[in-house]
Amino acid sequence: MTTQARSKNLTVKDLVTTGIFTALLFVFILVGGMFFATNPVLTFFMPAGSGLLAGPIYLLLIAKVQKRWSLTIMGVIIGIIWFVTGMHWAFALGYMLMAIVADLVAGLGRYQSKRLNSLSYMLFCLGGTGTYLVFFADPAGWAQTMLGNGTEQSYIDTMQASASTGILVAMFVAVIVTSAISAFVGCKMLKKQFEKAGITA
Amino acid sequence: MSGTHPRNGFWLDPRTKLFLILICVLSAMCAPSLVYQFALVVLVALLGACFGKWRYVVKGVCFYALVCVLTVWIMAELSGTLRTMFIAFLGLFHKVYACGMLAGIILTTTRVNEFLSAMHRLRAPKKLVIPLAVMLRYMPTIQEDWRYIKDAMRMRDVSPTPRGFLAHPAMCIECIYVPLLMAASKAADELSIAAITRGIENPQPRTCLVQIRCGARDWVAMAAAVAFLIVENGVRGGMIG
Repeated sequence: MTTQARSKNLTVKDLVTTGIFTALLFVFILVGGMFFATNPVLTFFMPAGSGLLAGPIYLLLIAKVQKRWSLTIMGVIIGIIWFVTGMHWAFALGYMLMAIVADLVAGLGRYQSKRLNSLSYMLFCLGGTGTYLVFFADPAGWAQTMLGNGTEQSYIDTMQASASTGILVAMFVAVIVTSAISAFVGCKMLKKQFEKAGITA
Repeated sequence: MSGTHPRNGFWLDPRTKLFLILICVLSAMCAPSLVYQFALVVLVALLGACFGKWRYVVKGVCFYALVCVLTVWIMAELSGTLRTMFIAFLGLFHKVYACGMLAGIILTTTRVNEFLSAMHRLRAPKKLVIPLAVMLRYMPTIQEDWRYIKDAMRMRDVSPTPRGFLAHPAMCIECIYVPLLMAASKAADELSIAAITRGIENPQPRTCLVQIRCGARDWVAMAAAVAFLIVENGVRGGMIG
């Protein structure tokens, strides 16, 4: 059985579908994140904002293709586009890695379990936090460019006191909450609109 | 890099462009101080000037200079949580700006068929190249669809604005997503039929009317980028060690 499933490779139709939905997904992630990314106070909630909109598209992509690697390809392409448009490297890498994880998780339910698909969407959205993880891992290195080589001690103290854990936790919680809402809406929409219309394969 | 022919313009191999972006990201990552970030932006601007994008370049550099001044001011004046916030934000901004500017230049000067041809030469797997090409092609269509959807929503008295969204969230969400997704899945079917008809499953190597070659200019551009990265790292190593 497994060999048969493996030989069922992605067809051209699957590849084209992946491409089109990747385009939609990219636009929605961009639109959701734009408002937050340009705002210094809210910049940490950018991944949450981008997770809010894309859920229905992601779930419909899974429902239409239902094969391994489709989600991985999607994540790699989004990563490449982020990279080529000059986003921070950790952001692109985060999306790529989390897309692979999301692919595996959705694969556990053979791409048919709504719960696992929603979970995989939430995992995928966490990929957007990559940049900020780099920031929290090494705040001194982050600011070095601006402060010159002599990063003063008071700055590091402030950073550890005020920012670290609080904002980090808030960021993760926000991402999980928004992506869960989005996945929930997506499931409802799939059931109400697309399954009846026979759009899902 | 002064060889700008007025007839065919300044042309670089898409592979060179990809390489330049990679080096640019690395340089932005390793930049030891603001001065080097600024130098990087100026280098990118030089490249843009070679492509003849004067207005874009001048605007970009002026804006970046403004932000640099602002950064220095914030570092000197502010303190506390607000400062931390700004450090996080501006840090990202400085790391991204040069690459974003380069990407803007490259995206506006590369055609999709040249890009695909170069990807093929790089032996990128077809499974990656096909979705990528489809995606790039489908982007403008989304914009077009969005305009039609907005019109249709107005006709049905659903306002496609934030206020309308707050008044009828469920209705508004449905009116946006459902047509977009329906159109997307229909387009997926049609495009794959068209692609198969035009021989996308052909195992023979792909041919392209535009010749992709690495010329002297490409090597000069790549060498300049690598040299900048090495100098930068040398300075950084010297300062740390």
